[in-house]
Amino acid sequence: MLTKIAGGDIIDPVNGRVGKGDLWIRDDKIIAAPVGGAADRTIDAAGCIVMAGAIDIHSHIGGGNVNTARLLLPEQHAAHQERPVTTPLSNAGWSTFQTGCLYAKMGFTTVVEPAMSPGAALHTHLELADIPIIDKATLAILGNDDFLLSMIRDDASSQMIEDYVAWTVASTRALGVKVINAGAAAAFKENVRTFSLDDVVPSYGVSSRKIVKTLQAAVDSLGVPHPLHVHCNNLGSPGSADTAAATIAAAEGLPLHLAHLQFYGYGTEGKRKFSSAAARLAELVNATPEVTIDIGQVMFGQTVTVSSDVMRQFSARGSAQPKKSVIHDGDGNGGGIVPYSYGKDFYGAMQWAIGLELFLLIDDPWRVFFTTDHPNGAPFTAYPALFELLMSREARTEMIARLPKSAMALSTLAAIDREYTFEEIAVMTRASPAKLLGLTDRGHLGAGAIADIAVYRRDGNIAKMLGQAAYVFKDGDLVVQDGEITHYRWGKALRLNPSPDKAMVRRLEDYHQQRYGLSLDWFNFPDSAIAREQPFGEVACRT
Amino acid sequence: MAVAWIGNRETLVERAAAHAAALLGSSRCPVFSLDTDIHGTRAAIALAERVGAAYDHADSAAVSRETALFTDKGAMTVAPGEARRRADVVVIVGELPQIHHQFVSELSATVPDLSAKNQREIFLVGSNGASAPPLNNGRTATLLSCGEASLGATLAALRAQWKGRQTSQPVSNFDDFTKALEAAHFPVFLFSGDATEGLALEMLQGLITDLNRKSRASGLHLPASENGWGSALASTWMTGFPLRTGFARGVPEFDPWRYDVARMIADGEADLHLRISSSIVQPQKKKNRMALIALAKTEEPIAGAAVTIAIGEAGVDHEAVVYSSRTGSLRSIDARAASELPSAATVIRLVASHVSAEAALPC
Repeated sequence: MLTKIAGGDIIDPVNGRVGKGDLWIRDDKIIAAPVGGAADRTIDAAGCIVMAGAIDIHSHIGGGNVNTARLLLPEQHAAHQERPVTTPLSNAGWSTFQTGCLYAKMGFTTVVEPAMSPGAALHTHLELADIPIIDKATLAILGNDDFLLSMIRDDASSQMIEDYVAWTVASTRALGVKVINAGAAAAFKENVRTFSLDDVVPSYGVSSRKIVKTLQAAVDSLGVPHPLHVHCNNLGSPGSADTAAATIAAAEGLPLHLAHLQFYGYGTEGKRKFSSAAARLAELVNATPEVTIDIGQVMFGQTVTVSSDVMRQFSARGSAQPKKSVIHDGDGNGGGIVPYSYGKDFYGAMQWAIGLELFLLIDDPWRVFFTTDHPNGAPFTAYPALFELLMSREARTEMIARLPKSAMALSTLAAIDREYTFEEIAVMTRASPAKLLGLTDRGHLGAGAIADIAVYRRDGNIAKMLGQAAYVFKDGDLVVQDGEITHYRWGKALRLNPSPDKAMVRRLEDYHQQRYGLSLDWFNFPDSAIAREQPFGEVACRT
Repeated sequence: MAVAWIGNRETLVERAAAHAAALLGSSRCPVFSLDTDIHGTRAAIALAERVGAAYDHADSAAVSRETALFTDKGAMTVAPGEARRRADVVVIVGELPQIHHQFVSELSATVPDLSAKNQREIFLVGSNGASAPPLNNGRTATLLSCGEASLGATLAALRAQWKGRQTSQPVSNFDDFTKALEAAHFPVFLFSGDATEGLALEMLQGLITDLNRKSRASGLHLPASENGWGSALASTWMTGFPLRTGFARGVPEFDPWRYDVARMIADGEADLHLRISSSIVQPQKKKNRMALIALAKTEEPIAGAAVTIAIGEAGVDHEAVVYSSRTGSLRSIDARAASELPSAATVIRLVASHVSAEAALPC
């Protein structure tokens, strides 16, 4: 089928195409304008902006901890809407089905679940397979597991560590590797309550820094396109900017991605000993080209924090709102679920401002990524409002006027004039995520790219414009029209597939038999277990 | 071999499925009770949405108690593998279902390799006369009891005594328990909703929380039914809600009293019961002329069923994904004796294909 999206304002930073024009799709791919071709279908995009489908690199959309959060909070996600006849289960509050639909309506076509516990890989992929329309991907968590910590303690060769990382990525069908408060979950099991970059996991004598550096090197050496995705130590603590700064410095020339930097943008100034260190961190990021970050923006309102940083979540239990939580000591990280409401009080306002400062003070939109760390800073449904804050100084000023002056006095936000342009939004939410994840087939509108396309009707109300796409195509299928889902389809989970080393597989078989009393078969699964046609799409490692 | 019946009359699966769909289409209050694998659950929930049914586990009292612990209170839990490798004190809370006895036996036969203590002490909380699952090497569990007091009362006394408060009756062997906890690095409490009332589960979590103020401890959830817990997890991601959810008003609503399917049948609310279980279950007592559609591993029609369709057993006749309490997550299992009997999911989808709808089923 030949489709022409006619007369839209095309914004495609990767191919340097910015301006009015047509975009052509044949079946599931974008093509160059055919000579004398007659379109089977023409979409009138006059008065619209046309971009590639957006990519979210860090959103907790599925897996054990997310599901536990649903289980913990049935009162928070009652469905009130009528049943949609053409999109089954899509109005079920906070269901997998609703997740895919809500993302698609905003023009997002690929979303990464960034914290998959290797032991819960099958569960995670089953949930992701029930998220309609969009493509998904996962990052496998390492860095608190006994097997890796023991290897580091015992000075295992870098080749052995790479073999283990490769096996984990391959067997869990992951697109990359994440480390979450490296070593802290293991230390917490031994009753350690705080843990910093140079602290040592008691039974292993291995520092958090050593774990991060080991995994960073392994990921780089294996050619995993996405750099090691790091959730630093001391998340949420006043003074955590020091930890983030030390972690940035620890990149030492190799790529490193720091997740939800807002949660580390905290200084210790002022009478509450809680202030913005965003300017300092932004300067460090600007000066460290090998580092990329995403924000984890806080928006006001009720949410639930879902994290595999079990030590941090344990310490946050007292602030649970409503007063219930789940803390799980897993085989590696485990996790914690703590519901929370961000109020417009001093602390909430400070966090909100710090995130925006980071967005606006980091110069290069290729190295800063648009996230709320869904649902930790805010549900992803807050994205339209966040786009507006980034693109309109006036919107920020209005909100600042409603927030405590004591908080704003400790932030530089009010003095920042910058407003993101649509070109910068296209870089931050399309081009750079594709580059960061190694997805050459998306994030741009060049010939040969998959036809993941978002068309937005221009509107003075940015939140409305970017919250309800006029048209969205996924793999060439028209899935959204005028902000409503028009077609259900099933995307893939994007994965790497490095060949596991046979000796490592044998070693892991012995390890599981001896330590867990179980064969490795208990943890493996065939693709057929997902019960969808083509549940996975393969992405190549760097050569 | 016959695989489908309308009443007692043998028929083609396709016809039985069409008849089941017609019954579902004309029902004013259909209910589903599930004892099936993950994909059977997914298919059943998709069908439930289409016909406005409520669904629950087939033997749901214990699953419901376990669910309520999470929906109402929250919990501190540990993965089974971590319990095996780290628990230097194991406390068995009440009677555990038979399916977990082998794991308890394994715990008694091994020592925690990630604990400096390198040994494991075992206690049992329960009334006088309570017995632990068989332990290895002739070991016995030290009983913590308050005479004939209930499990909840015993846990309350244990918690109070641990905090240095007075109790009306002391817990037996408390000094041994104190000594063990003081030396322990990671005590683990094994619990299930099977024979444990909801408040006792909450009291146990209170005790675990108290212990974590200064040291570490956690609880290992050993579900009363692995299929039940698996269905609860799948329901939670598909609808946002666990079992005892209904689509009577088109959207999913979770109500652990209203959508207790056994209650709905006993009270005469339901007029159609779709029962999905590879095992054969005797029909439940009912107050009205409720019709039964039975999907079961059977070679003959189920007594009293309007429609019977034979299904295979997950992990025996066909590969499947199930909840495993041994790993604490979902697990893929191969068919031990593959047969041509269809999976529950296959048959449910066939039934659903005969129910008129504008959209394809989502799973």
